[in-house]
Amino acid sequence: MKAKQPSRAVRLAQVCTLVAASVSLASTASAQDSSDPIVIPIHNWNSQIVMSNVVGQLFEKMGNSVEYVSTDSQAVYESVRLGDVTLEMEVWEGAFGAAFREALDKGGIVDAGDHNAVTREDWWYPDYVAELCPGLPDWEALNACSAKFATPETGDSGRFLGGPVDWLKHDQERVDALGMDFTVVNAGSASALWAELAAAKKRGEPIVLFNWTPNFIEAVYPGSFIEFPTFEAGCDTDPALGPNPDATYDCANPPNGYLKKAAWDGMAEKWPAAYATLEKISFTNPQIAEMAKLVDVDELEPEDAATEWLENNEDVWSSWIN
Amino acid sequence: MSVISCRNLWKVFGESAHTDLSRALQSGEADYASLVEQGCLPAVCDVSLDIARAEMLVIMGLSGSGKSTLLRCLSRLLDASSGDVVVDGQNLGELDKKGLIDLRRNKMGMVFQNFALLPNRTVLENVSFPLQMRGQDRHTRRARALEVIELVGLAGREDYFPRELSGGQQQRVGIARSLAIEPDIWFLDEPFSALDPLIRRDMQDEFLRLQEMLGKTIVFITHDFDEALRLADRIAIMKDGAVEQIDTPDRIVLQPATEYVARFTEHVERARVVHAGTLAEPMAASVAQGDTVLETATIHSLARRLVNDTREHYVVVDEAGKAVGQLARSAALDVLLGSEGGAA
Amino acid sequence: MSASPALPAVGGQPAKASWILAPSSANTVGLGLILLAGALVLLKPWLPDALVRLPSLFVLPFADALNWLFEFVKDDLGFVHVTRAFAGAVEWLLDVTGNLLYGKNRWPRLEPIPWTVVAATAGCLGYWLGGWRLALLGTGTFIWVAVLGQWQWTMETLSVLIVAVPLAVLLGLCLGVLAWKSQRAERILNPILNIAQSLPHFAYMIPVVIFVGVGPKAGAIVTIIFAVPPMIRMTLLGLRKVAPEVVESGEMCGSTRWQLLRHVRIPTARTEILIGVNQVIMQSLAMVVLASFIGMPGLGQKLLQLLQSLKIGRSIELGITIVLLAVMLDRLSRAWAMRQPVHFDKGVPWLQRHKVLVAWVVLCVGFYLLAQVFPLAAEVGRRQALTLSKEFDAVVDVFLTFVDPVTLSIRAFLITSVLIPLRDAYLWLPFSAVVIFFAGLGWRLGGWRSALICFAFVGLISMSGWWDRAMITAYMVSFAVFLSALIGLPLGIWAASKESRARRALLACDTMQTFPSFIYLIPVIMLFGVNDVAAIAAVIVFGVVPMTRYTIEGLRGVPTSLLEAADMSGANRWQKLTRVSLPMAVPTIMVGLNQTVMFSLFMVIIAAFIGTQDLGQEMQRALSSTDVGKGLVLGLCVAFMGLLVDHLITQWGARHARTAGVSA
Repeated sequence: MKAKQPSRAVRLAQVCTLVAASVSLASTASAQDSSDPIVIPIHNWNSQIVMSNVVGQLFEKMGNSVEYVSTDSQAVYESVRLGDVTLEMEVWEGAFGAAFREALDKGGIVDAGDHNAVTREDWWYPDYVAELCPGLPDWEALNACSAKFATPETGDSGRFLGGPVDWLKHDQERVDALGMDFTVVNAGSASALWAELAAAKKRGEPIVLFNWTPNFIEAVYPGSFIEFPTFEAGCDTDPALGPNPDATYDCANPPNGYLKKAAWDGMAEKWPAAYATLEKISFTNPQIAEMAKLVDVDELEPEDAATEWLENNEDVWSSWIN
Repeated sequence: MSVISCRNLWKVFGESAHTDLSRALQSGEADYASLVEQGCLPAVCDVSLDIARAEMLVIMGLSGSGKSTLLRCLSRLLDASSGDVVVDGQNLGELDKKGLIDLRRNKMGMVFQNFALLPNRTVLENVSFPLQMRGQDRHTRRARALEVIELVGLAGREDYFPRELSGGQQQRVGIARSLAIEPDIWFLDEPFSALDPLIRRDMQDEFLRLQEMLGKTIVFITHDFDEALRLADRIAIMKDGAVEQIDTPDRIVLQPATEYVARFTEHVERARVVHAGTLAEPMAASVAQGDTVLETATIHSLARRLVNDTREHYVVVDEAGKAVGQLARSAALDVLLGSEGGAA
Repeated sequence: MSASPALPAVGGQPAKASWILAPSSANTVGLGLILLAGALVLLKPWLPDALVRLPSLFVLPFADALNWLFEFVKDDLGFVHVTRAFAGAVEWLLDVTGNLLYGKNRWPRLEPIPWTVVAATAGCLGYWLGGWRLALLGTGTFIWVAVLGQWQWTMETLSVLIVAVPLAVLLGLCLGVLAWKSQRAERILNPILNIAQSLPHFAYMIPVVIFVGVGPKAGAIVTIIFAVPPMIRMTLLGLRKVAPEVVESGEMCGSTRWQLLRHVRIPTARTEILIGVNQVIMQSLAMVVLASFIGMPGLGQKLLQLLQSLKIGRSIELGITIVLLAVMLDRLSRAWAMRQPVHFDKGVPWLQRHKVLVAWVVLCVGFYLLAQVFPLAAEVGRRQALTLSKEFDAVVDVFLTFVDPVTLSIRAFLITSVLIPLRDAYLWLPFSAVVIFFAGLGWRLGGWRSALICFAFVGLISMSGWWDRAMITAYMVSFAVFLSALIGLPLGIWAASKESRARRALLACDTMQTFPSFIYLIPVIMLFGVNDVAAIAAVIVFGVVPMTRYTIEGLRGVPTSLLEAADMSGANRWQKLTRVSLPMAVPTIMVGLNQTVMFSLFMVIIAAFIGTQDLGQEMQRALSSTDVGKGLVLGLCVAFMGLLVDHLITQWGARHARTAGVSA
């Protein structure tokens, strides 16, 4: 009974505020949010799960009902478009830009604004590798010691462990364009990337792999991105740009890709208040990292992590829900 | 008046059985061998027989002789290929689904070789199954089922499940189930074949007791000639789908119609089968007085008399004591001891 | 029994076919084809390109056609409204079970059932079905779940299974009855079932996403689709097995056709039907993790999240829960299937007759009240829960440290000297040689019909445009199956030599089979790296199971009288094994080999999560871009490989049975 009471009290309080709110809302004749649940998709990385829970709990504070559903992070845009899920909290430019743009073209999905965060996805190595290959993080230094990254399946050339093919990266094109002595091997999942990283660390073997930020792995395995020739817009389409005049993709990935929110185009009408809040929501890189840390390092469950984050950061979100 | 009568009954299996048979019947040369040659499997060939009310007809034959198929045609579990089966004046072949179901719900009962009980139902539920099909309410069902269970001597085991019973007990359940609707016609398909010899004998006695009490019209299938002799009013012996001989046990033993039938009767102890009534001749004027002989007595039971009482003839009487004929001592002794040169 | 020329003609077969059917000519034609295939391989450098790879002219756009068909069915025929309506109904059910089990905020909006009540229910059910052992298993499973703080996820999983399993059973029962009733229905259903049972799980999911969407309802529906086939087959088998006498007895009792089905046939087929239910449950549990790719909540979803952040210890905890649930549900449902009715003697009081029921009611009420006073009896919060993740992590770490030097040393050798040459050889083979080889093999084993079937399977794969990918899959599967047999066969022989050992080995097989494969992908990668060795190792972990299981079953099935006869002939143990037991067990072992191939094909697709270049990788792409046509074509390629092997082994078995007089 003891443990139950607070939660009931909270629920009661919620009902009271809800009633009060609806009364006050009715007087101002504002449109009301539908009582149908807002469906929030969660994927298989923790920052996204916690962030989705944070937003979900915010919506619940506003009196909406919320439901979470786990989906594939690429296929989710089709579901948003059809209204099966209501929004998407993390649209990474690099990873999901293509799927998002395709869904935009088909219609049914809207851009709900950017987070105040930048994303970066590129070749990356854990710190200890710097000692094995002097001159890092410069890409030419990496190329100079490519033999150290060789594995049985790549023969004499070094191995770059890329993400799954469906992430649609252009690592092979870059290797060709820059004339690097590396072979791209695609892991089948993010788990495979981390498993290889963990094993390499254990053995003290050199490894260079695909990674991104913000990401929990930074907290567990400190490391750095390889510095490729500076990104210029159009480097992926115009051969003239970049050091190699005859090839595209001869430069780094954009170091400050967007991180967007997306929503079903019916959301603004069905849950106007929630949609207004969604548009205001913006997380920064440190905030996202903190959310991931609560789960990955402090071992909290995502729901609890979200609650904790909300408790600690009331000043951040209080302006969003009014 | 016959309860069941079938005329020129044929049942032929095989892919083209129907056309082959009708062609053969038209040309008038339908027989077992020619049908087999055409790739068909004739199971019942041109069988005609009549069964009187309260008569027990035993159909005897080895496996593959078509006896079970014949039974299934009589109950229309199988549709005959040709010919008619008339039950109580109704032509079975002309009955529609509903008529057939009504007939079975009210007039027919059947007992199966391997009991064919429903494993998930108790004895009581198995026995009341046909009543349930008839749509009777639970209370009536239960009352009637208990009555029949009592009749077959299983009182107290109503709540047992079939697998908790011995084979003999299971067949008692089968019998009880077939009697639950009080059928006029009772089909029994080798009911005791799956039982041990000792139990089989008990069950035969039990069966005779029931029949005496109930007086049903019975068609009983067996491959055991002794069983047939023990139970039957009349026996029909089948081979290759056809009836070789249909007659009383006495006459089958004394006058086998074919070589095939004779081979069955060879080793039978005739004296235990043949009755005084069978051997009786019309009464002559000069019959000696003295003790009479009951017509239903077997010759075996008269053995001592035949040796001690040296009169030429005895008077044979029926149950009421009325004289029906005379029995020649020599004829009776022939049966008892075997005639000269006959099988011992 | 030599085939007389007159007999087939009577059966209505064309007389022409009889010479083809004669065994001797089958051997020569088959051998000829195989030799031709060999010649094509030897002559490869001089072959025209059209015989090396199918010219693109003949590669048909199956995927586009399928996509068009799906679009047509979905939008033009409006089928999507039907499926969405059905999904809506399923969702309503899921909401109810969700509310009852974990307090989802839906009608009837009750508090979730306390964990103690669920555990007590499982215990009582276990006791009623199988005595103390099952009671302990039932209660123990839920205590484990609660104490480790996995209640919420387990209930999420169960809330879906509770809806999916009965629906799958009902659907399977109806389709089974339909197939039993109508020859035509069976003829249509049979090939569909064959393909469905050899189609990789992922291939089902894409159409479900399109027709149903994502979320628990999609998880439930994909589970139903995956679990229905064995139910259909078992229903059909059960109804066929009902003794004709029993049916006749029903008819003679004056049953109508419906009464006959309802009261006679289905109750008599009870055991088979309940085995079907058992199969449905096991198939559903196999989908727990995979279905979370399209929104199934619960254990699977959590498991994937944990693996994504490399928390192996905690994912092992979840894996154990899934195994415990599977073993518990398996044993309970099997006990239910095998349960024989028992009567109570007269005069046994009501309380005694229903003691389990009474105990259950008392326990439920008791725990319900207790839960009102002590919240710990209602739910163990995550913070109060125990965890063994540190211990599991340590065990995995020790294991890895211990095994790593060994695997590291064989890894380089395997890749450079075995796998890469093998893969290159498979890719080097001219497609025409492969097609002709399998046609020849089919002919030898099963005559011209088999040849045609094999030709069609391999031919369709080559026409799908995925030949190279399919060959990589084939290379990984064949090597994995080879190694699985090499490990599983001796393991099975060793385990079968002692009854107690055999039983323990079979339990281990059960565990391995239900343990979520995703968990051991991680250690395998850590040991071998992202390459084919890791993929093949993962496949072997899975493939050894049926090989071992069927070897044990086969050896245990050898009649004792034969072994006694061998003993009396003075055979020693080795002679007994090689001359008597193994030859007798061969048909069963071949079934095991068949299963190993099937398991390997499924697993090799999942191994795409390690990183492969085969059909599985493309399948993963198709799933993330919801490309139905591509996904199905890839799935069918995998299914055809499985069906090809299945067909060849079945033909072999039939031949073996004919010649050796041993039934498979």
